[in-house]
Amino acid sequence: MNTARRAIPRWTRTWVAVLLALGSVATLPGTASAAAYAQIEGTGSTWSELIVQQWISDVDSNGMKVVYTGGGSSKGRKDFAQASTDFAISEIPYQGVDEAGNADTSNGREFAYLPVVAGGTAFTYQLKVGDQLVRNLRLSGETIAKIFTNQITNWNDPAIAEDNNGRSFPSLPITPVVRSDGSGTTAQFTTWMDHQYPSIWRPFFGRSGLTSYYPRKGRAVGQAGSDQVMNTIAGFAGNGSIGYVEYSYPVNKDYPVVKVLNKGGYYVEPTQYNVAVALTKARINQDKSSQLYLTQVLDGVYTATDPRAYPLSSYSYMVIPTGRNDPRMSTAKRQTLADFLYYSLCSGQSKAGPYGYSPLPLNLVQAGFQQIAKLKQADSAVDLTSRDVKSCNNPTFDGKNLAGNKLAQIAPQPAACDKVGAGPCGTATGTGTPSTDDPGAAGGGEGGGPAAGGGTAGGGGAGGAGGTAGGSVGAPGGDAAPVIDPETGAVVGGDVAATSADGAAIYANPTELVAGRAADTQAFGWLAAVELIALVLLPGLYVASLKRRRSVR
Amino acid sequence: MSARRALAALAALGIAALGLAVPAEVAGPAQAAPAQAAPARAAAEGDDGYRATRELTRVFANADGTTYSFPTYRVTVTADKTENLRGRQRIRISWKGAQPSGGRASNPYGENGLAQEYPVVVLQCRGVDGASVPVAKRVRPETCWTASVAQRSQVSRSEGEATWRHDLYADDAAKQRTSGVTPFPGAQECPTADIEPYATRLTPFVARGGRTHLACDAAHMAPEAAVGAAFPPAEIAAFTEANGTGSVQLEVRSETENESLGCNHRVACSVVVIPIVGLSCDAPSQPPTAGDQACRKGGRFAPGSSNFSGEGIDQAVGPALWWSESNWRNRFTIPITFGLPPDTCDIRDPRPPTGFYGSELLAQAATQWAPAYCLAEDRFKFQLNQMSDEAGFALMSSGGGVAAAVSSEHERRGSDPVGYAPTAVTGFSIAYVVDEPDNGGERTRLRLNARLLAKLLTQSYLGSDLGRGHPGMAGNPLAIMNDPEFQELNPGLSTTTQEAGATLLSLSESSDVVEQLTAYIAADPDARAFVSGKADPWGMKVNPEYEDIELPRSEWPLLDTYVPATENTCRKENPAVYFTQLAAPVTALRKISEALLDAWPNVQTRCELDASTQQYKLGRVDRQSFGSRFLLGVTSLGDAARYGLRSAALQTRPGTYVAPSDASLGAAVRLARQERPRAPFVLDQADVRKAGSAYPGTMVVYTAARLRNLPKADAAKVAQFIRVSTTEGQRRGSGNGELPEGFLPIRRTGVTAKLFASAQDVADAVAAQRAPAGGDGPGGGGPGGPGGDTSGGPAGGSGGGVPGGDVPSAELPAEEAAPGADVEAQPTAVPAMPGTEPVSSRLGGGLLPALVLVGLLAVAGAGGLRFFVRVPR
Repeated sequence: MNTARRAIPRWTRTWVAVLLALGSVATLPGTASAAAYAQIEGTGSTWSELIVQQWISDVDSNGMKVVYTGGGSSKGRKDFAQASTDFAISEIPYQGVDEAGNADTSNGREFAYLPVVAGGTAFTYQLKVGDQLVRNLRLSGETIAKIFTNQITNWNDPAIAEDNNGRSFPSLPITPVVRSDGSGTTAQFTTWMDHQYPSIWRPFFGRSGLTSYYPRKGRAVGQAGSDQVMNTIAGFAGNGSIGYVEYSYPVNKDYPVVKVLNKGGYYVEPTQYNVAVALTKARINQDKSSQLYLTQVLDGVYTATDPRAYPLSSYSYMVIPTGRNDPRMSTAKRQTLADFLYYSLCSGQSKAGPYGYSPLPLNLVQAGFQQIAKLKQADSAVDLTSRDVKSCNNPTFDGKNLAGNKLAQIAPQPAACDKVGAGPCGTATGTGTPSTDDPGAAGGGEGGGPAAGGGTAGGGGAGGAGGTAGGSVGAPGGDAAPVIDPETGAVVGGDVAATSADGAAIYANPTELVAGRAADTQAFGWLAAVELIALVLLPGLYVASLKRRRSVR
Repeated sequence: MSARRALAALAALGIAALGLAVPAEVAGPAQAAPAQAAPARAAAEGDDGYRATRELTRVFANADGTTYSFPTYRVTVTADKTENLRGRQRIRISWKGAQPSGGRASNPYGENGLAQEYPVVVLQCRGVDGASVPVAKRVRPETCWTASVAQRSQVSRSEGEATWRHDLYADDAAKQRTSGVTPFPGAQECPTADIEPYATRLTPFVARGGRTHLACDAAHMAPEAAVGAAFPPAEIAAFTEANGTGSVQLEVRSETENESLGCNHRVACSVVVIPIVGLSCDAPSQPPTAGDQACRKGGRFAPGSSNFSGEGIDQAVGPALWWSESNWRNRFTIPITFGLPPDTCDIRDPRPPTGFYGSELLAQAATQWAPAYCLAEDRFKFQLNQMSDEAGFALMSSGGGVAAAVSSEHERRGSDPVGYAPTAVTGFSIAYVVDEPDNGGERTRLRLNARLLAKLLTQSYLGSDLGRGHPGMAGNPLAIMNDPEFQELNPGLSTTTQEAGATLLSLSESSDVVEQLTAYIAADPDARAFVSGKADPWGMKVNPEYEDIELPRSEWPLLDTYVPATENTCRKENPAVYFTQLAAPVTALRKISEALLDAWPNVQTRCELDASTQQYKLGRVDRQSFGSRFLLGVTSLGDAARYGLRSAALQTRPGTYVAPSDASLGAAVRLARQERPRAPFVLDQADVRKAGSAYPGTMVVYTAARLRNLPKADAAKVAQFIRVSTTEGQRRGSGNGELPEGFLPIRRTGVTAKLFASAQDVADAVAAQRAPAGGDGPGGGGPGGPGGDTSGGPAGGSGGGVPGGDVPSAELPAEEAAPGADVEAQPTAVPAMPGTEPVSSRLGGGLLPALVLVGLLAVAGAGGLRFFVRVPR
């Protein structure tokens, strides 16, 4: 077919029709009408696997066959480099040389990065007070960094109490659970530590930069895959453990996550809203000549001052082959890849929220379409008509009105009790539902997941000493919150006092529950036994004594 | 202009016709494939099967001109399905009378299967056999698919490894030092192919489009060929048991999965089965060369033996030379046809998809149903988003999804009543992959009872020596294969302990499947007694951490805390709860099906030094080797049918074991009862025990939707879905909109009639959206919610518009004027307290009666004493 194409000069529309007919016939006999697809295969990230698998079952009805087997980002990049897959999904770009000194390049295979799904790296934990699972733990970034570098080793550490507005936790060793396999989740987490807390991270790691293989030390436990991290933490032996996974894992398991302190002075959870807001601050490498073109620059995300922004927000890339003579590509495969991506970037994003991810905003979707176009540059027979931003069913923007991030605007403000020096809020985390005072929040179609029930522990006192810890945490200008958010125009902050007063947050009780103390159990157990014996014997003894008295008389 | 356009159209048509003819002409270097005589007795078995018998003999020509013939094997090959196949469908191919194999590989697929002796090579090829078939459409080695170079070419072999050059039946060209392609590629193209004095034989692959891939190295293979790809190879070098029989399930690939191979409804294809009996050899030189001697070798592995370490084999009796004339002439060519590709939805369809959320049990049906919705103008774009039943139900309740797919009643979260429409009858499967000992094939029937499942779930098997230190169960068997109870039910299996035999791969998240499975255990007196601490007749005790665990339950917790004390450096560096590493539950049934399909346990006990990072690491154990596989997992009946997994028969009443089938699913449906209209049907496991013939894992998947306050358009879609899926969606078949295997059709009459009637009733109620709020509809608070159940009137629970805690309540369209009395419902008890859990103590439970008894005895004793014994005053 190449020779035929060369023989045709350029031109009238009629000839183009002939050319197209030729192209379609030569490559896909038998199916003239619909776009013909061929199966594509990929490996990589487990961070994004949950939603990618759902997309794969969605596009089955379009006749697209996609095979994705996870295995971790490092494996994904390696398989792609060895040309044994058609695409890879990875949280980090090719590193050139990995930390062990091995090559981490595409091995000469031409490729492009494009974002596919966003989400928050969440810290899920099991911490019991008495016998109740704490579901509203808050931690600052510094505390988290110190926990995962073995500097804070006990849940009763004053830094943790300070993050929780003076509420202290029982003495219990902290067990960090990290990934033992090469993982993009680890890479994202360590990138954040390296940028934000270099003085904590670098001495621990022994050098600077990120790593896909967490340097497990001391009490920390390494587990392969996000599933296993989740199992280890949620298991009965997991009390005191904390690990990092994509938010969808705890959401699907209905397990709590840490609210992380952002630069806006609020402790927030990685809900789809908070991640979307944070990612509006993501910068993308726009240098088209760079090998890192379109890779994320997240400094602005880490330091976003919006009260809603979740600092550890990021997105996964798909690595697609763009070479004209790629050894694994054919027209039908490129078409499948293009249409799978079109679905993923558009309609597929509408289920990001329910699955614990966050939909990609417009800037990233547009960048994605520019990369998809490279498939057509490599092979003109690929059909990209009517596959663009305007026809895109993405929930974060309106194809007809591309200005503005719809989701970031409807994203609810955090509850007042999530502020530094206030609260903590009693509402449970890990439910996919925003913690907010805004009664109309989470509107619009793809609303939150399970309703946040009423916390875990009953009762619980009022807010405790309001601002005792505030000063030392150093919430700058916390009280004088800006009135209007420049990004979205929404009113921010506002009447902190009023809401917190009526908030009547339901807490897990900060003090140990009486029912949980072993000593008590034993003492009361004996007491109960004695009482029972008395209950049975006393009437008899009484009767006996009466008789005795009578007989004596 | 119009004339020009017509001309162009004509030209296009002409070229199209030409294009169609192209593949026929580009036949490549057609090696004169001698039109093979039809097999001795080829007769179709039924309409859709294949059966043929051939006599295969290995012959040596002697130097003196005589020949020596080995005993003849009379081999019969059968296939169960050959027509109207779909891509990735599995067909079962069996044989008998073949030479027993030796040196079994741990994985017989693709290049991993090469180090075996006397295997049966099963390949998918383009083209068919037959004297009347045009040469270009005949099957030949160049049109047979393999995923790797080593399976088709022999590159730079020494004399002793070039046995094909002594093939009795090969023509002269094939006996040259280099052969297979003319002209032979130069060093520029294939640098390793032509190196004196080594011999090379290339078997190129000719793609459907006509392109020839030289197959001299990995760079000269078709795009779909890759070693270690995400999509594993299908071709297999299968093992023949000592009695000459064997069978495999071959996954066939259409042009969608393998474009280069290119099989579709127009391009005829075959499955080629070549039982290897060893090369026939031509007359040897005098004295015999190394090649002559190698050609005459008869194998170094005993029949039935294993070769898991991949040691070298005798090439003359291995699978690698399947293309040599000696082997190729022994082929069975099973013609297969592919069905028309189903119509598919257009990716550019502008309608936004309508998401239903919930049960994975419905996954296979939903996949087939979806195109039947998007392709119809008057329907909608249906999608099933798979997640836990509970999460799906919550999304539906909050308005995040229009409907949920669940398998049991769930606690209602809002004030809107919810209707449950029966949508599919299916269930869970305890799927297994278990091999007979001594390479005796796969176990085809497995029986389990509730106590065995309870033992697996409660982590009461020790797994390995690492588990021996666990307090309270030191005497327990290491794994189920060592358990006398299992051995009694399933005699004859290997008793070699495998860690995977200590666990049942299950779900980590909440699921109605787990609920049903644990209900089955709870209903069995023996299993319940075991869980509550009573040792089984062989002395095995429940893991104390799980003793008295509450059953049934929808989420199975990981309760063990035992970290083995060991001197192993890796385990000391990575202290982990051993039994949790054994169980390693996963988030989706699909992952369990894949683990079974790959015979790759999810056991995470492997502990070793990672060379690249110099760290000790925990990870997943290796795949199991063929011949010694043993793996159990919970999956859906739909998945089991789709992937050809076997399902264990479960005990109902003592001595009766029921496997999933139409009859046993129907029997269970007959037992299911509905308490209120529009509520789910409940299958009481006590009834299942009584009835005997019903499959305990039977589950009905319901479409659950709000009967009030669902937006009109969404309500219409849900009602339509219920009506369509319970009528045309219940026709069996593999086409769009049809019901796949693994499901029992719901019909207007017969045992499923009540499901059908209830579905139509719910469909009407969903469409109407008039059910009274919090009214007598189903699911008033659900089990254990006394507050909700009584709300017949205007109380309405924590209704719409009330800022109840942090519940985003904006989805509830409060404008929809509520009929009836529930105006402005007052908020009642906004912060829902967690349900009170029963706390019980066995000690306490026994103590009171005991003490009362003691007291009574004392009273009686005292009275008697006073009465009978007169104490002298």
